[in-house]
Amino acid sequence: MPDRPIPDAAVDLEPSSRPGVPMERTPQPMPGARVPIRVQHSDVRVFKHKGRAGFPPVFGTAQPPHGVSGLLRKVAYGYPDHLARHWMILLLADRVDVWEHRLARVGPWAVPTVGVLALTGLAWRKWSRA
Amino acid sequence: MRALTYQGPFKVRVENKPDPRLEHPQDVILKVTRTAICGSDLHLLHGLVPDTRVGHTFGHEFTGVVEELGSEVSQLHKGDRVVVPFNISCGTCFYCQRGLTASCENSNPSSDVACGVYGYSHTTGGYDGGQAEYVRVPFADVGPLKIPDGMEDEEALFLGDILPTGYMGAEMGEIKGGETVVVFGAGPVGLFAMRSAWLMGAGRVIAVDCVQYRLDFAERYAKVETVNFREVDDIVLYLKELFEGRGPDVCIDAVGMEAEGSLGQRVLGLGLKLEAGAPTVLTWCIDVVRKGGNVSIVGVYGPPWNLMPIGTAMNKGLTLRMNQCNVRRYMPHLLQHIREGRIDAKGIITHRFPLEEAPKAYHLFAQKQDGCVKCVLTPGHA
Repeated sequence: MPDRPIPDAAVDLEPSSRPGVPMERTPQPMPGARVPIRVQHSDVRVFKHKGRAGFPPVFGTAQPPHGVSGLLRKVAYGYPDHLARHWMILLLADRVDVWEHRLARVGPWAVPTVGVLALTGLAWRKWSRA
Repeated sequence: MRALTYQGPFKVRVENKPDPRLEHPQDVILKVTRTAICGSDLHLLHGLVPDTRVGHTFGHEFTGVVEELGSEVSQLHKGDRVVVPFNISCGTCFYCQRGLTASCENSNPSSDVACGVYGYSHTTGGYDGGQAEYVRVPFADVGPLKIPDGMEDEEALFLGDILPTGYMGAEMGEIKGGETVVVFGAGPVGLFAMRSAWLMGAGRVIAVDCVQYRLDFAERYAKVETVNFREVDDIVLYLKELFEGRGPDVCIDAVGMEAEGSLGQRVLGLGLKLEAGAPTVLTWCIDVVRKGGNVSIVGVYGPPWNLMPIGTAMNKGLTLRMNQCNVRRYMPHLLQHIREGRIDAKGIITHRFPLEEAPKAYHLFAQKQDGCVKCVLTPGHA
Protein backbone atom coordinates (compact mmCIF):
# COMPACT_ATOMS: atom_id res chain seq x y z
CA MET A 1 0.00 0.00 0.00
CA PRO A 2 1.41 3.43 -0.88
CA ASP A 3 1.77 5.69 2.20
CA ARG A 4 0.01 8.62 0.56
CA PRO A 5 -1.47 7.38 -2.71
CA ILE A 6 -3.20 10.71 -3.40
CA PRO A 7 -3.10 14.15 -1.72
CA ASP A 8 -5.00 14.17 1.58
CA ALA A 9 -5.66 10.42 1.56
CA ALA A 10 -7.96 9.42 4.44
CA VAL A 11 -9.23 13.00 4.82
CA ASP A 12 -12.77 11.53 4.89
CA LEU A 13 -11.84 8.65 7.19
CA GLU A 14 -14.28 9.78 9.85
CA PRO A 15 -17.69 8.49 8.66
CA SER A 16 -19.49 11.53 10.06
CA SER A 17 -17.52 13.71 7.62
CA ARG A 18 -19.16 11.94 4.69
CA PRO A 19 -22.25 13.60 3.21
CA GLY A 20 -24.22 10.37 2.94
CA VAL A 21 -23.75 9.28 6.56
CA PRO A 22 -26.21 8.56 8.05
CA MET A 23 -28.14 7.46 4.99
CA GLU A 24 -31.39 8.98 6.26
CA ARG A 25 -31.30 12.39 7.87
CA THR A 26 -33.66 13.83 10.42
CA PRO A 27 -36.52 15.01 8.20
CA GLN A 28 -36.38 18.65 7.20
CA PRO A 29 -37.11 20.53 3.98
CA MET A 30 -34.09 21.14 1.77
CA PRO A 31 -32.77 24.69 1.37
CA GLY A 32 -34.73 26.55 -1.30
CA ALA A 33 -37.66 24.13 -1.20
CA ARG A 34 -41.08 25.72 -1.51
CA VAL A 35 -44.45 24.40 -0.37
CA PRO A 36 -47.12 23.96 -1.46
CA ILE A 37 -45.94 22.82 -4.86
CA ARG A 38 -48.31 24.09 -7.52
CA VAL A 39 -49.59 21.46 -9.91
CA GLN A 40 -48.17 21.61 -13.43
CA HIS A 41 -50.64 21.91 -16.27
CA SER A 42 -50.11 19.90 -19.45
CA ASP A 43 -51.70 20.07 -22.87
CA VAL A 44 -50.27 16.70 -23.85
CA ARG A 45 -51.01 13.18 -22.68
CA VAL A 46 -48.76 12.02 -19.84
CA PHE A 47 -49.07 8.53 -18.43
CA LYS A 48 -49.04 7.49 -14.79
CA HIS A 49 -48.44 3.85 -13.97
CA LYS A 50 -51.34 2.05 -12.36
CA GLY A 51 -49.53 1.38 -9.10
CA ARG A 52 -49.13 5.06 -8.29
CA ALA A 53 -51.86 6.65 -6.21
CA GLY A 54 -51.82 10.21 -7.52
CA PHE A 55 -50.20 12.32 -10.18
CA PRO A 56 -47.03 14.19 -9.07
CA PRO A 57 -47.12 17.99 -9.29
CA VAL A 58 -44.20 18.14 -11.74
CA PHE A 59 -43.47 15.92 -14.73
CA GLY A 60 -41.93 15.88 -18.17
CA THR A 61 -43.94 16.51 -21.31
CA ALA A 62 -41.39 15.57 -23.95
CA GLN A 63 -42.39 13.28 -26.84
CA PRO A 64 -46.11 12.77 -26.17
CA PRO A 65 -47.42 9.31 -27.09
CA HIS A 66 -48.71 8.86 -30.63
CA GLY A 67 -49.87 6.19 -33.06
CA VAL A 68 -49.74 2.47 -32.43
CA SER A 69 -46.80 2.85 -30.07
CA GLY A 70 -48.85 5.33 -28.05
CA LEU A 71 -51.68 2.82 -27.76
CA LEU A 72 -49.22 0.18 -26.58
CA ARG A 73 -47.81 2.59 -23.99
CA LYS A 74 -51.32 3.29 -22.77
CA VAL A 75 -51.84 -0.45 -22.28
CA ALA A 76 -48.47 -0.77 -20.50
CA TYR A 77 -49.24 2.05 -18.06
CA GLY A 78 -52.49 0.31 -17.25
CA TYR A 79 -50.35 -2.16 -15.31
CA PRO A 80 -48.37 -1.28 -12.18
CA ASP A 81 -44.60 -1.21 -12.60
CA HIS A 82 -43.90 -4.28 -10.48
CA LEU A 83 -45.37 -6.47 -13.22
CA ALA A 84 -43.05 -7.63 -16.00
CA ARG A 85 -45.77 -7.09 -18.61
CA HIS A 86 -45.61 -3.33 -17.92
CA TRP A 87 -41.96 -3.26 -18.99
CA MET A 88 -42.20 -5.78 -21.80
CA ILE A 89 -45.04 -3.90 -23.49
CA LEU A 90 -43.05 -0.67 -23.17
CA LEU A 91 -40.05 -2.30 -24.85
CA LEU A 92 -42.34 -3.48 -27.65
CA ALA A 93 -43.81 0.02 -27.95
CA ASP A 94 -40.28 1.43 -28.27
CA ARG A 95 -39.56 -0.81 -31.27
CA VAL A 96 -42.92 0.03 -32.88
CA ASP A 97 -42.18 3.73 -32.31
CA VAL A 98 -38.93 3.39 -34.27
CA TRP A 99 -40.73 1.77 -37.22
CA GLU A 100 -43.47 4.40 -37.14
CA HIS A 101 -40.86 7.13 -37.41
CA ARG A 102 -39.01 5.31 -40.19
CA LEU A 103 -42.22 4.94 -42.18
CA ALA A 104 -43.15 8.55 -41.56
CA ARG A 105 -39.71 9.61 -42.76
CA VAL A 106 -39.59 7.52 -45.93
CA GLY A 107 -43.33 7.83 -46.71
CA PRO A 108 -43.24 11.23 -48.45
CA TRP A 109 -40.81 9.99 -51.10
CA ALA A 110 -41.34 6.24 -50.97
CA VAL A 111 -45.09 6.34 -51.75
CA PRO A 112 -44.76 8.53 -54.90
CA THR A 113 -41.70 6.57 -55.99
CA VAL A 114 -43.53 3.25 -55.70
CA GLY A 115 -46.51 4.80 -57.54
CA VAL A 116 -44.35 6.05 -60.40
CA LEU A 117 -42.56 2.70 -60.68
CA ALA A 118 -45.87 0.82 -60.74
CA LEU A 119 -47.32 3.10 -63.39
CA THR A 120 -44.12 2.82 -65.42
CA GLY A 121 -44.28 -0.96 -65.17
CA LEU A 122 -47.90 -1.04 -66.28
CA ALA A 123 -47.15 1.29 -69.19
CA TRP A 124 -44.17 -0.83 -70.19
CA ARG A 125 -46.24 -4.03 -70.19
CA LYS A 126 -48.98 -2.38 -72.22
CA TRP A 127 -46.47 -0.91 -74.72
CA SER A 128 -44.56 -4.18 -75.11
CA ARG A 129 -47.81 -6.07 -75.85
CA ALA A 130 -48.86 -3.51 -78.44
CA MET B 1 -32.63 24.90 -30.90
CA ARG B 2 -30.15 22.19 -31.80
CA ALA B 3 -30.36 19.03 -29.76
CA LEU B 4 -29.25 15.44 -29.81
CA THR B 5 -32.20 13.12 -30.44
CA TYR B 6 -32.66 9.37 -30.12
CA GLN B 7 -33.65 7.67 -33.39
CA GLY B 8 -33.77 4.05 -32.29
CA PRO B 9 -31.25 1.54 -30.93
CA PHE B 10 -27.65 2.53 -31.77
CA LYS B 11 -28.73 5.70 -33.58
CA VAL B 12 -28.74 9.32 -32.48
CA ARG B 13 -28.54 12.53 -34.47
CA VAL B 14 -28.48 16.26 -33.89
CA GLU B 15 -31.47 18.14 -35.25
CA ASN B 16 -33.68 21.17 -34.70
CA LYS B 17 -36.41 20.92 -32.10
CA PRO B 18 -38.54 23.50 -30.25
CA ASP B 19 -36.89 25.39 -27.41
CA PRO B 20 -37.99 24.21 -23.96
CA ARG B 21 -40.40 26.49 -22.12
CA LEU B 22 -41.26 27.19 -18.50
CA GLU B 23 -43.93 24.67 -17.55
CA HIS B 24 -44.07 25.26 -13.80
CA PRO B 25 -43.46 28.31 -11.58
CA GLN B 26 -40.40 26.62 -10.02
CA ASP B 27 -38.73 25.97 -13.43
CA VAL B 28 -35.82 27.74 -15.03
CA ILE B 29 -34.55 27.46 -18.59
CA LEU B 30 -30.80 26.95 -18.80
CA LYS B 31 -28.58 27.82 -21.72
CA VAL B 32 -26.30 24.79 -21.70
CA THR B 33 -22.57 25.54 -21.67
CA ARG B 34 -21.10 22.06 -21.21
CA THR B 35 -22.70 18.64 -21.28
CA ALA B 36 -21.18 15.19 -20.95
CA ILE B 37 -21.95 11.73 -22.25
CA CYS B 38 -22.37 9.35 -19.35
CA GLY B 39 -21.80 5.60 -19.46
CA SER B 40 -25.45 5.17 -18.53
CA ASP B 41 -26.45 7.10 -21.67
CA LEU B 42 -25.16 4.09 -23.58
CA HIS B 43 -27.90 1.93 -22.03
CA LEU B 44 -30.40 4.33 -23.61
CA LEU B 45 -28.52 4.36 -26.88
CA HIS B 46 -28.57 0.58 -26.99
CA GLY B 47 -32.33 0.44 -26.46
CA LEU B 48 -32.14 -1.20 -23.04
CA VAL B 49 -34.23 1.28 -21.06
CA PRO B 50 -38.00 0.83 -21.50
CA ASP B 51 -40.02 3.80 -22.77
CA THR B 52 -37.19 5.54 -24.57
CA ARG B 53 -39.08 7.41 -27.27
CA VAL B 54 -37.83 8.50 -30.67
CA GLY B 55 -36.90 12.19 -30.50
CA HIS B 56 -35.85 12.05 -26.84
CA THR B 57 -32.86 14.22 -25.94
CA PHE B 58 -30.35 12.51 -23.66
CA GLY B 59 -28.02 14.21 -21.22
CA HIS B 60 -28.10 14.30 -17.42
CA GLU B 61 -24.71 15.89 -16.78
CA PHE B 62 -24.60 19.55 -17.72
CA THR B 63 -23.71 23.06 -16.69
CA GLY B 64 -25.43 26.16 -17.95
CA VAL B 65 -26.38 29.77 -17.54
CA VAL B 66 -29.83 30.73 -16.25
CA GLU B 67 -31.72 32.20 -19.17
CA GLU B 68 -35.34 32.39 -18.02
CA LEU B 69 -36.94 32.08 -14.58
CA GLY B 70 -40.31 30.81 -13.35
CA SER B 71 -42.36 33.12 -11.15
CA GLU B 72 -41.59 31.26 -7.90
CA VAL B 73 -37.82 30.96 -8.36
CA SER B 74 -36.03 33.13 -5.80
CA GLN B 75 -32.53 31.71 -5.28
CA LEU B 76 -31.31 31.96 -8.88
CA HIS B 77 -31.00 34.96 -11.15
CA LYS B 78 -30.60 35.42 -14.86
CA GLY B 79 -26.97 34.89 -15.81
CA ASP B 80 -26.08 32.60 -12.88
CA ARG B 81 -23.78 29.75 -13.83
CA VAL B 82 -24.94 26.46 -12.35
CA VAL B 83 -24.26 22.74 -12.34
CA VAL B 84 -27.36 20.57 -12.09
CA PRO B 85 -27.82 17.23 -10.29
CA PHE B 86 -29.22 14.53 -12.53
CA ASN B 87 -32.04 13.85 -10.04
CA ILE B 88 -35.07 16.10 -10.26
CA SER B 89 -36.00 16.55 -6.62
CA CYS B 90 -38.63 18.69 -4.94
CA GLY B 91 -36.86 19.12 -1.59
CA THR B 92 -40.04 18.69 0.42
CA CYS B 93 -41.37 15.14 0.01
CA PHE B 94 -40.91 12.25 2.45
CA TYR B 95 -37.68 11.16 0.74
CA CYS B 96 -36.12 14.54 -0.05
CA GLN B 97 -36.57 15.62 3.56
CA ARG B 98 -34.47 12.62 4.60
CA GLY B 99 -31.73 13.33 2.06
CA LEU B 100 -32.83 10.61 -0.36
CA THR B 101 -33.29 12.94 -3.32
CA ALA B 102 -32.90 10.11 -5.82
CA SER B 103 -36.20 8.78 -4.54
CA CYS B 104 -38.20 12.03 -4.79
CA GLU B 105 -41.87 11.22 -5.19
CA ASN B 106 -42.89 14.50 -6.80
CA SER B 107 -41.19 14.34 -10.18
CA ASN B 108 -41.94 11.04 -11.89
CA PRO B 109 -45.44 9.74 -12.69
CA SER B 110 -44.18 6.86 -14.83
CA SER B 111 -42.53 4.59 -12.33
CA ASP B 112 -41.70 4.08 -8.68
CA VAL B 113 -38.20 2.78 -9.45
CA ALA B 114 -36.65 6.23 -9.63
CA CYS B 115 -37.36 9.93 -9.40
CA GLY B 116 -37.36 12.24 -12.40
CA VAL B 117 -34.06 12.31 -14.28
CA TYR B 118 -33.02 14.58 -17.15
CA GLY B 119 -32.84 12.88 -20.51
CA TYR B 120 -33.28 9.36 -19.24
CA SER B 121 -36.43 8.06 -20.96
CA HIS B 122 -40.05 8.32 -19.86
CA THR B 123 -39.38 5.67 -17.24
CA THR B 124 -37.76 8.50 -15.28
CA GLY B 125 -40.40 11.08 -15.99
CA GLY B 126 -40.11 12.08 -19.65
CA TYR B 127 -37.85 15.09 -19.27
CA ASP B 128 -35.63 16.08 -22.19
CA GLY B 129 -31.97 16.23 -21.23
CA GLY B 130 -29.07 18.60 -21.50
CA GLN B 131 -27.37 17.44 -24.71
CA ALA B 132 -28.97 20.45 -26.34
CA GLU B 133 -28.63 24.21 -26.47
CA TYR B 134 -31.31 24.74 -23.82
CA VAL B 135 -32.91 22.61 -21.12
CA ARG B 136 -35.83 22.94 -18.73
CA VAL B 137 -34.78 22.59 -15.06
CA PRO B 138 -37.64 21.99 -12.58
CA PHE B 139 -37.35 22.76 -8.83
CA ALA B 140 -34.60 25.22 -9.70
CA ASP B 141 -34.17 26.54 -6.17
CA VAL B 142 -33.50 23.05 -4.83
CA GLY B 143 -31.19 21.20 -7.23
CA PRO B 144 -28.78 23.46 -9.11
CA LEU B 145 -25.56 24.57 -7.44
CA LYS B 146 -24.03 27.91 -8.38
CA ILE B 147 -20.52 27.53 -9.80
CA PRO B 148 -18.13 29.75 -7.82
CA ASP B 149 -16.48 32.65 -9.61
CA GLY B 150 -13.11 31.70 -10.98
CA MET B 151 -14.05 28.05 -11.42
CA GLU B 152 -14.40 26.71 -14.95
CA ASP B 153 -17.61 24.94 -15.98
CA GLU B 154 -15.64 21.80 -16.80
CA GLU B 155 -14.20 21.66 -13.29
CA ALA B 156 -17.74 21.60 -11.84
CA LEU B 157 -19.47 19.60 -14.58
CA PHE B 158 -19.08 16.18 -12.99
CA LEU B 159 -20.61 17.31 -9.69
CA GLY B 160 -23.93 16.63 -11.44
CA ASP B 161 -23.50 12.87 -11.56
CA ILE B 162 -20.36 10.79 -11.90
CA LEU B 163 -18.26 12.34 -9.13
CA PRO B 164 -20.96 12.06 -6.43
CA THR B 165 -21.92 8.64 -7.78
CA GLY B 166 -18.35 7.36 -7.51
CA TYR B 167 -17.97 8.90 -4.06
CA MET B 168 -21.25 7.37 -2.89
CA GLY B 169 -20.09 4.03 -4.27
CA ALA B 170 -17.07 4.13 -1.97
CA GLU B 171 -19.12 5.51 0.91
CA MET B 172 -21.61 2.63 0.70
CA GLY B 173 -18.63 0.29 1.03
CA GLU B 174 -18.47 1.56 4.64
CA ILE B 175 -14.70 1.92 4.65
CA LYS B 176 -13.41 2.50 8.17
CA GLY B 177 -9.68 2.58 7.45
CA GLY B 178 -7.28 0.06 5.96
CA GLU B 179 -9.83 -2.01 4.04
CA THR B 180 -9.10 -3.74 0.76
CA VAL B 181 -11.34 -2.46 -2.01
CA VAL B 182 -11.91 -3.87 -5.49
CA VAL B 183 -13.58 -1.56 -7.99
CA PHE B 184 -15.06 -3.27 -11.03
CA GLY B 185 -15.07 -0.89 -13.97
CA ALA B 186 -12.34 1.64 -14.77
CA GLY B 187 -14.69 4.07 -16.46
CA PRO B 188 -15.39 7.56 -15.10
CA VAL B 189 -17.56 6.45 -12.15
CA GLY B 190 -15.08 3.72 -11.25
CA LEU B 191 -12.19 6.19 -11.36
CA PHE B 192 -13.96 8.53 -8.95
CA ALA B 193 -14.89 5.59 -6.71
CA MET B 194 -11.19 4.65 -6.54
CA ARG B 195 -10.11 8.19 -5.65
CA SER B 196 -12.89 8.37 -3.08
CA ALA B 197 -11.87 5.06 -1.53
CA TRP B 198 -8.43 6.54 -0.89
CA LEU B 199 -10.01 9.67 0.60
CA MET B 200 -11.96 7.45 2.99
CA GLY B 201 -8.82 5.66 4.12
CA ALA B 202 -8.81 2.43 2.11
CA GLY B 203 -5.66 0.37 2.57
CA ARG B 204 -5.46 -1.12 -0.91
CA VAL B 205 -7.49 -0.38 -4.03
CA ILE B 206 -7.60 -2.60 -7.12
CA ALA B 207 -9.30 -1.79 -10.42
CA VAL B 208 -10.72 -4.58 -12.59
CA ASP B 209 -11.65 -4.09 -16.24
CA CYS B 210 -10.99 -5.66 -19.63
CA VAL B 211 -10.05 -2.46 -21.48
CA GLN B 212 -6.31 -2.09 -21.05
CA TYR B 213 -6.04 1.62 -21.82
CA ARG B 214 -8.61 2.35 -19.11
CA LEU B 215 -6.68 0.28 -16.61
CA ASP B 216 -3.52 2.20 -17.55
CA PHE B 217 -5.46 5.43 -17.06
CA ALA B 218 -6.66 4.23 -13.65
CA GLU B 219 -3.10 3.47 -12.58
CA ARG B 220 -2.06 7.01 -13.44
CA TYR B 221 -5.18 8.88 -12.32
CA ALA B 222 -6.23 6.95 -9.22
CA LYS B 223 -2.90 5.39 -8.19
CA VAL B 224 -4.39 1.90 -7.97
CA GLU B 225 -3.28 -1.61 -8.82
CA THR B 226 -5.03 -3.10 -11.84
CA VAL B 227 -6.21 -6.46 -13.15
CA ASN B 228 -7.35 -7.17 -16.70
CA PHE B 229 -9.88 -9.97 -16.22
CA ARG B 230 -9.26 -11.25 -19.73
CA GLU B 231 -5.66 -12.00 -18.76
CA VAL B 232 -6.48 -14.28 -15.84
CA ASP B 233 -8.15 -17.70 -15.96
CA ASP B 234 -10.83 -17.01 -13.38
CA ILE B 235 -11.22 -13.51 -12.00
CA VAL B 236 -13.04 -14.69 -8.87
CA LEU B 237 -10.35 -17.18 -7.89
CA TYR B 238 -7.60 -14.71 -8.84
CA LEU B 239 -8.97 -11.96 -6.61
CA LYS B 240 -9.69 -14.29 -3.72
CA GLU B 241 -6.14 -15.56 -3.90
CA LEU B 242 -4.86 -12.00 -3.91
CA PHE B 243 -6.46 -11.48 -0.51
CA GLU B 244 -5.30 -14.57 1.39
CA GLY B 245 -7.98 -16.78 -0.13
CA ARG B 246 -10.78 -14.79 1.50
CA GLY B 247 -11.35 -11.97 -0.94
CA PRO B 248 -11.43 -8.21 -0.41
CA ASP B 249 -13.44 -6.40 2.26
CA VAL B 250 -15.36 -4.27 -0.22
CA CYS B 251 -16.41 -4.70 -3.85
CA ILE B 252 -17.85 -1.84 -5.87
CA ASP B 253 -19.87 -2.48 -9.04
CA ALA B 254 -19.26 0.53 -11.25
CA VAL B 255 -20.28 -1.25 -14.45
CA GLY B 256 -23.95 -2.20 -14.40
CA MET B 257 -26.10 -3.83 -17.00
CA GLU B 258 -23.78 -4.05 -20.02
CA ALA B 259 -20.93 -5.96 -18.45
CA GLU B 260 -18.53 -8.09 -20.46
CA GLY B 261 -17.22 -11.37 -19.11
CA SER B 262 -20.09 -13.83 -19.45
CA LEU B 263 -21.44 -14.92 -22.81
CA GLY B 264 -24.47 -16.52 -21.18
CA GLN B 265 -25.49 -13.37 -19.32
CA ARG B 266 -24.98 -11.25 -22.43
CA VAL B 267 -27.12 -13.54 -24.57
CA LEU B 268 -29.88 -13.70 -21.96
CA GLY B 269 -29.85 -10.04 -20.98
CA LEU B 270 -28.66 -8.06 -23.96
CA GLY B 271 -29.60 -10.38 -26.82
CA LEU B 272 -32.84 -12.06 -25.79
CA LYS B 273 -33.91 -9.42 -23.22
CA LEU B 274 -34.93 -12.18 -20.82
CA GLU B 275 -33.36 -10.20 -17.99
CA ALA B 276 -32.48 -6.54 -17.58
CA GLY B 277 -28.97 -6.61 -19.01
CA ALA B 278 -25.98 -8.70 -17.97
CA PRO B 279 -25.33 -8.70 -14.19
CA THR B 280 -21.93 -10.35 -14.56
CA VAL B 281 -20.08 -7.84 -12.40
CA LEU B 282 -22.67 -8.00 -9.65
CA THR B 283 -22.27 -11.77 -9.63
CA TRP B 284 -18.50 -11.41 -9.43
CA CYS B 285 -18.79 -8.92 -6.57
CA ILE B 286 -20.88 -11.33 -4.53
CA ASP B 287 -18.57 -14.26 -5.30
CA VAL B 288 -15.32 -12.35 -4.70
CA VAL B 289 -15.97 -10.28 -1.58
CA ARG B 290 -15.04 -11.86 1.73
CA LYS B 291 -17.72 -13.27 4.02
CA GLY B 292 -19.35 -10.46 5.96
CA GLY B 293 -18.03 -7.96 3.42
CA ASN B 294 -19.75 -5.10 1.65
CA VAL B 295 -20.93 -4.92 -1.94
CA SER B 296 -21.73 -1.46 -3.21
CA ILE B 297 -23.69 -1.10 -6.44
CA VAL B 298 -23.65 2.13 -8.41
CA GLY B 299 -23.65 0.56 -11.87
CA VAL B 300 -27.09 0.97 -13.40
CA TYR B 301 -29.51 -1.94 -13.61
CA GLY B 302 -33.01 -1.71 -14.98
CA PRO B 303 -36.32 -3.37 -14.23
CA PRO B 304 -37.80 -5.94 -14.05
CA TRP B 305 -35.23 -8.56 -12.91
CA ASN B 306 -31.75 -10.05 -13.12
CA LEU B 307 -30.21 -13.44 -12.52
CA MET B 308 -27.83 -12.97 -9.60
CA PRO B 309 -26.69 -15.25 -6.75
CA ILE B 310 -28.73 -13.92 -3.85
CA GLY B 311 -28.28 -17.24 -2.02
CA THR B 312 -24.52 -16.79 -2.02
CA ALA B 313 -24.92 -13.26 -0.69
CA MET B 314 -27.22 -14.49 2.06
CA ASN B 315 -25.02 -17.36 3.11
CA LYS B 316 -21.88 -15.23 3.12
CA GLY B 317 -23.58 -12.63 5.30
CA LEU B 318 -22.90 -9.80 2.90
CA THR B 319 -24.10 -6.25 3.15
CA LEU B 320 -25.46 -5.12 -0.20
CA ARG B 321 -25.88 -1.39 -0.58
CA MET B 322 -27.06 0.37 -3.69
CA ASN B 323 -28.82 3.46 -4.91
CA GLN B 324 -29.01 6.01 -7.63
CA CYS B 325 -26.86 8.76 -6.17
CA ASN B 326 -28.57 11.35 -3.98
CA VAL B 327 -26.47 13.92 -5.79
CA ARG B 328 -27.46 17.19 -4.15
CA ARG B 329 -26.24 16.31 -0.67
CA TYR B 330 -22.74 15.49 -2.00
CA MET B 331 -22.21 18.57 -4.14
CA PRO B 332 -20.84 21.08 -1.57
CA HIS B 333 -18.46 18.52 -0.03
CA LEU B 334 -17.08 17.41 -3.37
CA LEU B 335 -16.86 20.97 -4.67
CA GLN B 336 -14.55 21.58 -1.72
CA HIS B 337 -12.46 18.53 -2.63
CA ILE B 338 -12.09 19.85 -6.18
CA ARG B 339 -11.15 23.34 -5.02
CA GLU B 340 -8.55 21.98 -2.61
CA GLY B 341 -6.98 19.77 -5.27
CA ARG B 342 -7.91 16.41 -3.80
CA ILE B 343 -9.90 15.44 -6.87
CA ASP B 344 -8.99 16.61 -10.37
CA ALA B 345 -12.46 16.13 -11.83
CA LYS B 346 -11.60 17.72 -15.15
CA GLY B 347 -8.60 15.40 -15.45
CA ILE B 348 -10.71 12.52 -16.73
CA ILE B 349 -11.83 14.39 -19.86
CA THR B 350 -10.12 12.86 -22.85
CA HIS B 351 -12.31 14.15 -25.68
CA ARG B 352 -14.21 17.35 -26.45
CA PHE B 353 -16.64 17.75 -29.34
CA PRO B 354 -19.07 20.38 -30.52
CA LEU B 355 -22.69 19.32 -29.93
CA GLU B 356 -23.08 18.88 -33.69
CA GLU B 357 -20.61 15.99 -33.53
CA ALA B 358 -22.40 14.21 -30.70
CA PRO B 359 -23.16 11.06 -32.77
CA LYS B 360 -19.43 10.69 -33.46
CA ALA B 361 -18.70 11.18 -29.76
CA TYR B 362 -21.25 8.50 -28.82
CA HIS B 363 -19.67 6.08 -31.27
CA LEU B 364 -16.17 6.74 -29.96
CA PHE B 365 -17.26 6.40 -26.34
CA ALA B 366 -19.35 3.28 -26.91
CA GLN B 367 -16.65 1.54 -28.93
CA LYS B 368 -13.93 2.65 -26.47
CA GLN B 369 -11.79 3.98 -29.29
CA ASP B 370 -8.92 6.45 -29.26
CA GLY B 371 -8.30 6.07 -25.55
CA CYS B 372 -11.68 7.58 -24.74
CA VAL B 373 -12.53 7.88 -21.06
CA LYS B 374 -14.91 10.84 -20.99
CA CYS B 375 -16.49 12.96 -23.74
CA VAL B 376 -17.68 16.51 -23.19
CA LEU B 377 -19.94 18.30 -25.68
CA THR B 378 -20.11 22.04 -26.24
CA PRO B 379 -23.24 23.61 -27.76
CA GLY B 380 -22.62 26.04 -30.60
CA HIS B 381 -23.32 29.20 -28.61
CA ALA B 382 -21.08 28.30 -25.65
